[in-house]
Amino acid sequence: MTPILIPVIVLVLIVALAAMVTGIFNKLVTYRNRYKNAFAQIEVQLKRRYDLIPNLVETAKGYMKHERETLEAVISARNQAIGGLQKAAQDPGNAEAIRGLAGAEGMLTGAMGRLFALAESYPDLKANQNMMQLSEELTSTENKVAFARQAFNDGVTTYNTYRQTFPTVMFAGMFGHAQDAALLEFESERIQDAPKISF
Amino acid sequence: MATDFFEHQDIARRNTGRLVILFVFAVLAIMVSIYLLLAATMGYLSRDPETGAIDWSLAGDLQLVGIAVVGTLVVVGGGTLFKIAQLRGGGRVIADELGGRRLNPDSSVPAERQLLNVVEEMAIASGTPAPPVYLLDEEEGINAFAAGFTINDAVIGVTRGAVERLPRDELQGVIAHEFSHILNGDMCLNIRLIGLLNGILIIGILGYFMFRVSAFSSYRQRRSSRESSPLPLLALGAGLMVVGFLGTFFGNLIKAGVSRQREFLADASAVQFTRQPAGIAGALKRIGGFLNGSKVQSPNAPEASHMFFGQATSGLSGLFATHPPLAERIRQLEPSWNGQFAEGFPRTESAPAPHPSDAGVAGLAGAEAVNRGAAQSVTSAVDHIGQPNTAHLHYAAGLLDELPTAIVDASREPYGARALIYALLIDRQTEARKLQIAHLARAADPGVCKETLKLLPLIEQLDARVRLPLVDIALSALRALTDAQYHQFKQNIVELVEADHTIDLFEWSLQRILLHDLEAQRFNATPGRVRYRKLHRLQPHYELLLSTLAYTGHRDEAEAREAFEQAKRVVALPQARFRQGEECGLEAVDAALTVLEEAAPRVKRQVLKAAAACIAADRKVTIAEAELLRAISASLGCPMPPLLSM
Repeated sequence: MTPILIPVIVLVLIVALAAMVTGIFNKLVTYRNRYKNAFAQIEVQLKRRYDLIPNLVETAKGYMKHERETLEAVISARNQAIGGLQKAAQDPGNAEAIRGLAGAEGMLTGAMGRLFALAESYPDLKANQNMMQLSEELTSTENKVAFARQAFNDGVTTYNTYRQTFPTVMFAGMFGHAQDAALLEFESERIQDAPKISF
Repeated sequence: MATDFFEHQDIARRNTGRLVILFVFAVLAIMVSIYLLLAATMGYLSRDPETGAIDWSLAGDLQLVGIAVVGTLVVVGGGTLFKIAQLRGGGRVIADELGGRRLNPDSSVPAERQLLNVVEEMAIASGTPAPPVYLLDEEEGINAFAAGFTINDAVIGVTRGAVERLPRDELQGVIAHEFSHILNGDMCLNIRLIGLLNGILIIGILGYFMFRVSAFSSYRQRRSSRESSPLPLLALGAGLMVVGFLGTFFGNLIKAGVSRQREFLADASAVQFTRQPAGIAGALKRIGGFLNGSKVQSPNAPEASHMFFGQATSGLSGLFATHPPLAERIRQLEPSWNGQFAEGFPRTESAPAPHPSDAGVAGLAGAEAVNRGAAQSVTSAVDHIGQPNTAHLHYAAGLLDELPTAIVDASREPYGARALIYALLIDRQTEARKLQIAHLARAADPGVCKETLKLLPLIEQLDARVRLPLVDIALSALRALTDAQYHQFKQNIVELVEADHTIDLFEWSLQRILLHDLEAQRFNATPGRVRYRKLHRLQPHYELLLSTLAYTGHRDEAEAREAFEQAKRVVALPQARFRQGEECGLEAVDAALTVLEEAAPRVKRQVLKAAAACIAADRKVTIAEAELLRAISASLGCPMPPLLSM
């Protein structure tokens, strides 16, 4: 009886192993898709933010005639951030692209911060209806970005943790999951601060 | 339509039962074949050295029988359970496997927006939470699918070909077809089919593996010219392969047979839904006239072939086709069809077809109106469960048109959707209102509180009737919350509801619908086992439910008792006993619903009919009462379309 029993046991083990490996593969794909979907939400909100900024600058231009440099800095930082977003959106799993986006976003937030700080000394601008509305919308969009970013980072963390645990870690590289995905961290929490400058 | 939602559910369930029986037979046949294979192999190994005759005496060995039985069970059972466990994630998992990309509910890309609008309208019209929509970017063919275990974890997937090539009315026909699958209970059947077939398939794969390995070792052994030959193993492997593939063959036959039948049904229900046979027939004609047809390229498409709108795999016809021939489906919808398929790109109109909002949204007036004509509509609402019609669809389209954009925008992304739900829960009374807003400022995400206050005036101007449809839209976005975000959200809802220490009907209904859906989604609830097939076994539970309902609509006990008696007459429940006030309450209803959820669909229909009768007994129905009925219906897994004539 033993000659036939051994292959049966071996086969059962093979089946179990194959099942486990397929499971790992599928789970990796599912987690990756999940954080990629979460990134799409960030993309929508960031795009809205980038669409709002030129309008804001246009409105400010009428009042801040002597601050051309600051205004231009905002626009160029915004254009750079758009490029960063496009790269990151192509592959949200690419850590470098994500860091690039974070950097560009940091610059933009800094430039916006300076703009708002300067705006403090232009009471007419502060009272402008259009400006008030735009900055209100910007605030709300930035809150949405922060929220979507939280969801993305949660997804990335789940993926990375799963990727690094045993036995997944043995197969992850083989299945094209060799790299951790990067968290999207904006430098400091300035993105929260900037809009708090009240009009 | 003679059969209604509940009967379809019953039929789907019975079909699942039949499938399981067929499957058990298949497994038994496989066991016998494997046993014979083993016996032959063993017999060959201990054959008579001189004559070479196979020794069949070993065949009687019980150990051999045991190995065949246990081996088959382990492999087939393991394969099936594994696949089902993997699919427990529900529709999302299947959409991912097929290469779907989840569309943002607030996408503004015109083609995506149109698709999302069509899905939202259908969801509102049928009273289901809007399912997430996945776009299969890589697929040129015109196709779509619905997948999931329950209404709460259903997803809809559409190929790029369908989005680009179908005009709005045809796309609507396709989506209506997929909604019918969701409402007819086909999805769960479909998922189980995948699981069962996978178990049988594994035997074939095993055989193939064994064949390869032993073929390889026989090659090596021949080179070293040793005595013992691996021929028996080779033969055993080949035999297993044949058994496995035969099993899969018959499995696919069963799958295709079941699927073809359900497709006709879904086509018919879709027409009933949109009352435009031209839409769905047009889509079918376009598939026929398109080079890529409805083909789906994803390597995972074959195992999900029976979930699609059109034949997803090519080259199969006759008994193996999971879908009836196109021409036959078109003739069912359009008997006078001339046999011409449609060709070319139709995408000329870009604006969504405007819908006449003739079905009641016209007067969006606030106030908790009491309506006498509504009693009739409440009782007929139960008949519409799972069977929305054109009127509901027009209502939904009109509703989306007339809602303030700020509200619609908020409902489509998770950040705003939370604020929207909070705003719905905030009391109009100043006392509780202060407490609630203070709580939000303290416990909610920074910014959400402000967002809520911004939405609040808009929400308060809304007609109370649109509150629940709004929740249906928002649910789609809320499902995207991560665990941490959801936890905080749920906590806040509970606190907002309890802020004034009394729970009113609307608060209860909203909380019930919201959490029932989101929890099911999060914990991958599979459709509950049917535990109760007879109404009388549920007596204490429905008594509590009906008595509470009787109290909510009627001031004094005599009136409540009268309403209860009326409900008893409507569904013939002679033994039902009216419960006194102190036993009743929304907590009691919560508990009763948990039990009633496990009743057979037929039983649920009776309970819902009685509930509707109870509410309508005094010929006066408030909006809050109607919402309560919808919440109860949703808790039992029965989507109720919005009430129209209120």
